[in-house]
Amino acid sequence: MSSKKDRMFDFKNVEELQTFITPLGKIMPAKRTGLSGREQRRLKTAVKMARQLALLSYGVQ
Amino acid sequence: MTNKIHTYQAVFLLDNEEVRKGFNQAKDWVQACLEKHNVDVKVLRLWGERALAYPIGSRQRATYLLGWVEASGEAVNEAKREMYLVGPAFRIMFLRADEIPAEEMAFGIEAIDDSAVEVPDEIEEFEMIEEDVAEEAAESKTEEKTEENIDEQAGEKAADSSDESEAVAAGEENKEN
Repeated sequence: MSSKKDRMFDFKNVEELQTFITPLGKIMPAKRTGLSGREQRRLKTAVKMARQLALLSYGVQ
Repeated sequence: MTNKIHTYQAVFLLDNEEVRKGFNQAKDWVQACLEKHNVDVKVLRLWGERALAYPIGSRQRATYLLGWVEASGEAVNEAKREMYLVGPAFRIMFLRADEIPAEEMAFGIEAIDDSAVEVPDEIEEFEMIEEDVAEEAAESKTEEKTEENIDEQAGEKAADSSDESEAVAAGEENKEN
């Protein structure tokens, strides 16, 4: 178990979320982000909420 | 169904057409709608006006309103339902939160001047391109006209100078005679 504090993601912080998004608009896998399972799930939720509010795009056409 | 009160973070996307008529008017409508459905509004403030990541309907930009409210799930759903039917908000999101952050509580129900909210006109890209092309064409026309004027002036000057030289030559001939 890691000693680091669990990372939280805010859907309003678009710049931070964009670092975990591929150029095609997909969420990067945990293998690439280096996040724990719980953090990756938080990231997924934040990205999906940001997409719903049109802060992030669903993908590149 | 339980009527337990929860804290929610709320985000409203306001139509810029409505915001242009008056930001406070649109914000007051959202607040009134929430309060009508027994939603206790703690914070309601402008988050910003920004471009949408993808067009929603014909909208390319929107004004974001951020709020923190306390209400039951049922009240939130009713308010949401009404807001989707009428009013300036075209997209709404309520998110359960543990508590309202202190820095957000400091904002309260923010009242700002309508003129402080800058809402640019939604000009589509092709229109902008057309305008640029028209401007360039106008500029090139004016340049052509100025060049023509310069040529004409140069031609007139040349004609004048040739007349003068002819007159001088005629004068010299007369002197010789």
